[in-house]
Order: sequence, then structure tokens, then C-alpha cells
Amino acid sequence: MGAFELNTTISNLRSLQESDLSAYDAVYLGNIYCRIFEDNFLERMNDLKEGIARVKDQGLRAYVTSYAGPRNDALPKVEMALETAAAAAADAVEVHNLGVLRLIHEQYPGMPVHIGGFANVYTDAGTAVLKEFGAVRFTPNYEISLDEVRAITAAVGIPAELLVHGKMPLGVSDYCFLLEYESHWPEKCPVVCQKQLFLRQGDWAMRSVGKGVLSGKDVCMLEHLPTLLAAGHKAFRIETAYETPEYRLGIARIYRTALERALAGDGTVDESVWQMIREHTAVGLCNGFYFGRTGGEYIGSRAETTAAC
Amino acid sequence: MEAATPGNGSLVASGHSAVRSRGIGPPKKCAMLLAPAGNLEAAGQAFEAGADAVYVGLKGWSRGGARGELDREQLRQCIELAHALGKQVQLAANIIPKALERQRLLGQLAELAEWGLQAVIVNDAGFLREVRRKLPALAITASIGCGALNTDDALFYQDLGATAVVLPGYVEPAEIVEVKAKAAIQVEVMLHMVQEFIQLGKCWMPSYLNFAAGEQAIPAERLGGSVKRGGVGSCFRICQQPWMLLKDGVEVDQRLFPGWQLSRVAELGAFLDAGADVIKIQGRSLSAEIVRAIIAMYRAASDAWRCGQKAEWNAAALPVMWTVRGR
Repeated sequence: MGAFELNTTISNLRSLQESDLSAYDAVYLGNIYCRIFEDNFLERMNDLKEGIARVKDQGLRAYVTSYAGPRNDALPKVEMALETAAAAAADAVEVHNLGVLRLIHEQYPGMPVHIGGFANVYTDAGTAVLKEFGAVRFTPNYEISLDEVRAITAAVGIPAELLVHGKMPLGVSDYCFLLEYESHWPEKCPVVCQKQLFLRQGDWAMRSVGKGVLSGKDVCMLEHLPTLLAAGHKAFRIETAYETPEYRLGIARIYRTALERALAGDGTVDESVWQMIREHTAVGLCNGFYFGRTGGEYIGSRAETTAAC
Repeated sequence: MEAATPGNGSLVASGHSAVRSRGIGPPKKCAMLLAPAGNLEAAGQAFEAGADAVYVGLKGWSRGGARGELDREQLRQCIELAHALGKQVQLAANIIPKALERQRLLGQLAELAEWGLQAVIVNDAGFLREVRRKLPALAITASIGCGALNTDDALFYQDLGATAVVLPGYVEPAEIVEVKAKAAIQVEVMLHMVQEFIQLGKCWMPSYLNFAAGEQAIPAERLGGSVKRGGVGSCFRICQQPWMLLKDGVEVDQRLFPGWQLSRVAELGAFLDAGADVIKIQGRSLSAEIVRAIIAMYRAASDAWRCGQKAEWNAAALPVMWTVRGR
């Protein structure tokens, strides 16, 4: 890895082909929520193989993610995806389920594993266990603060990957309630979850993706990038699993420029950038839990308005 | 045999069907029936109704808040009661403790083990391993909050030294068979529980919306804010409140998140046949009366299975007041 890594998530080959990845260093392939998400890489091994090759051909690192909450019936497919990832020389796999972590440790002992946000990394003791099972990087549970992340990395000695922009995962389900609307809506599974669907109560809003719930607001750490770099963080994620190629490219360009400037000692961000950020958010911005506060709050110099979703 | 239960339902074990389906033989070894107890009265009622063990919380150290927790003296009395009856007490220490809290909690567990506590329920892989190393005689259960769902999860917690792993009540008996075929760890199934929309242990919707509510609710030693960690008052059940669903900016529905009260007593035999080692009932917040009624129902079904009889649950549904959802 260079001075930093900017990565993102892409669920299927169509979305990969439509995306300009020039501002990224790495891509996670696959949708972690739903096995029947439109042409999910994790269910289509030929697509996954091609996806890995396409990403690597662009000089980027190719990572393969895995399901957030797999039951036994999904494990054979998980194993096929791992086998494909190994055969196609993927650079790492992402694991949210500790059973899958153990499986990789047993069957692919040399495979680098990134621990995902649903693996519930809250403590140094827990992270130390995961390191022994082969983890080389972890996404902390979204609820913990930057101070806690720093304590874990210092104690355990593996780096954290931080979500710096995009909708933060808030939960995963076995059940897709969007299927209840199939008979009433023109959109059907497996594309209905890609519509702009929000759950709203007063000022609160969350994004529904069927089997998952995401923050309505976009996490935005743009003005805090110098702080993250100073703390030694290098791996940054822009979460775009349910976003458009335009969002994926536009936000990444903003962050790459800001990271490069911050590394050069200039922590400022052009005002025009904030206008672009606003255009890419339906509800507004937040910082997640990085500052020990309510996940939907925004701490910083920006007072972005809440939009209407 | 008929076990009368308050409310609408009754459980009937049919000897006739037993002769047809299994034949009459010696009683089979049955799974442990593990009851919730939020207070001493509930523990006593659960034991009387046939629970083999109860799980309790210790003030400040269990997920879900002060409601349904015992203080140290009450816990000591609970352990004494269980021992007098030849039964067990398990401690739900299912918060996720920070480093300093870990050492304090370990100290408490060591003392409680000396009192006769048999098992502890934990929620973090790191803490689990630390308890195993420091307190080797204590049985350890990987809490339902650990999110175990599959055979490899069971093997993971087995590797760490857990005695048992809890699976949610929405798994099927066939999945238990698959786990038991590969794993030696005890499999505990929470057959009576509320299945929320989000998987247990994988929800931080409340803290996204209001982290501070949990922090300010009750001064306590435990971590605040996070449901997952055990924050006081931090789950304010947003999934049970009405939400407006908007599609492309247009309101299309007003709805709750889906949720179900599971009570799979009618399928208990299938889970026991599958090899479940422990049948767990959710609900430390339930009243002693309701705990007694639910445990009596599961005890009757369990005894019927043990004697090779077919239990037939003839109530359409549990009254809401019996359920954890009705808490």
C-alpha cells in the first residue's frame, strides 16, 4: 500500500463495467446483504473471476467480500467464492462472519483476511483473537469512536479500515420486507432494493436496501482527513454498494484530491467540493460514531442541512 | 398427561401416537430447559415449573439494562436455591467490556464461581477466551448476541473454548443436525423469543438515531449508548415504532419493521430429535407468573418427547401477555 488506500464496494459485473475506478486503489466485489441481489458476484463465479481480472487489469487491488450473516445453506457458495478468489489471485477477502473466518483459516491459511463491519469488532481482546485466525485488517464496528479504534490498533498491531464516506450499515436481516410490495410496484426483485427507498420518522431517516438498513445520511469525514492521517490510518472506504457510478466516481475524486493535499500539508477543502458533496446526498451528512456521539450527528465546521429524501 | 397452563393453551401428550410413531421405550436423555429469571421470584417459579437452570443478570453487567438484573446478594440466594434443588444458575455477562472493565468483571466472575455459579454467557470473542484462560472450570456460552448462525460459527466458538453456543429460534431442526454432525460444542436454541427484523447482535439503528439517550438514562458502570455493548436504556425499540416508507421521495406506506413472536413448542420434539442440547427461553423482563407458565408448557412438551410420546400443542397462539414482545 502507498501513502493511503481508497477503496469501495461493487455488487455485480454490470456495475463494475459502468464504473470509472480511476480514483480508487482497491475494490471489494460482492453484495453482503442478499444472495439474490441482481447478479451478485458472490453467486456467479464466472462474473467474480472476470471482475477480479478487470479490477487487477486496472492496476487496482481486488478484494472479495462475503455475506454478513450466512446460514448453512449459503456456506457452499461462500466456499466457491473463496475458491474463485484464491484461483484468480484476489488480494484479500473480507469476512463478516466468524465461522467463515475460521473456514478460511483452515482451508486457505495464507489468504489475507479483512474483517468487515458486521463482525462486531469492539475491543482489543476480540481483535487479537481475529488476528490469530488470519485477520490482517479490520473494519471496527461502526459504533466505536476513533479513540477506541486507536487503542485497538495500538494494542493488537493490525490496521483499521475506516468508512470515510457513504451510507453506514446499521443492520442486516434474514427477511426482505420489500418483497411485500412486489405486487403493488412496477419494480421487482432483484432490482427493487436499488431504488431510492428511505424510512422516515420526523427528522430521522434510514435507507432500506431490503435485507439491510443503512444510515439515511452519508457519513462524511472529508474535513477530518488530516486527523485520520495523523492518527496513522491509511485504508479508507467509500461505501457505494447501492450508489450510482456517478456517485462512486465523484466522491472518490473528491477524497483522493483531499487526501493528497492533506499529505502535502494542506488540510483545506475547496468550497466547490461541498456543493458536489451536497448533490450526492439525499438526506444530509453525519460523522457516524467516530467522535463518540450519536451516529447521525455531524461534528465539524460544516453545518449541512438535512434534505428531504 | 395434561399440563394445565394459565391462559388459552394446554399441552397434551398422546400415548397413542407415541406407540405408532416411536414405540414405548426407556425415557430418552433430554435437553436442558433454560429459563430466564429477572428476579428471585421468577427463578423460584421457573424451577418449580420444571426448568433445569435459570439465567440471570448481575447488576451493571448484563445487556438490556437494570431491568431484569439481580444484585450480588440476590444472586447468591439464587445460586443457593438452585443448589438446594439440584439445578443450575447461569450468569448473563453479555455486555462487551472495555479493557479495564474486563478485569473487574473477571474478578467478579471468579468470586461468583466460588459461590457455585456454573456458567457464564458472554458476547465477545476476546472476553470469552480470557474467561476460558482465567476460569477454566466455568462453563461458557457464546451469547445469541455473538450472532452465530452456522456450523462454522459453532466450530469457531468451540475453538475458543466455549461450552455452548446459542442459535436463534428461527433456525430449522435440519440445521441443528448439521451443526451437531461436525461440532462437539453444545447447541443451545432460543425457541421462545422475539425475532426482530434485524439479526440479533447486528443492530445499531438506535444509537445511529440517539446515542445520548442511552448514556444519560441511568448512571451506571456499564458502557452507555450502544445496545450491542449493553448500554443502559439504549434500545428504545425504534423497530416497533411506525415509519414512513418513501420511494423516490414519495410516501408509499406507513409501517413497522417486521417482527415475530416465536414460540416453537409444537416443534420441540423435532429440535430434540435433531440433538439440541439446551432449550432456551428469552425474557428476563417477564413476570414470574409468565415465566412459570411458559416453562411449564415447554417442560410438558419435553417430558412427552422423553417418554416417546407425541406432544400436541392445541392453542392457536400464546396470549400477548405471555410473550417477550408484550413486555
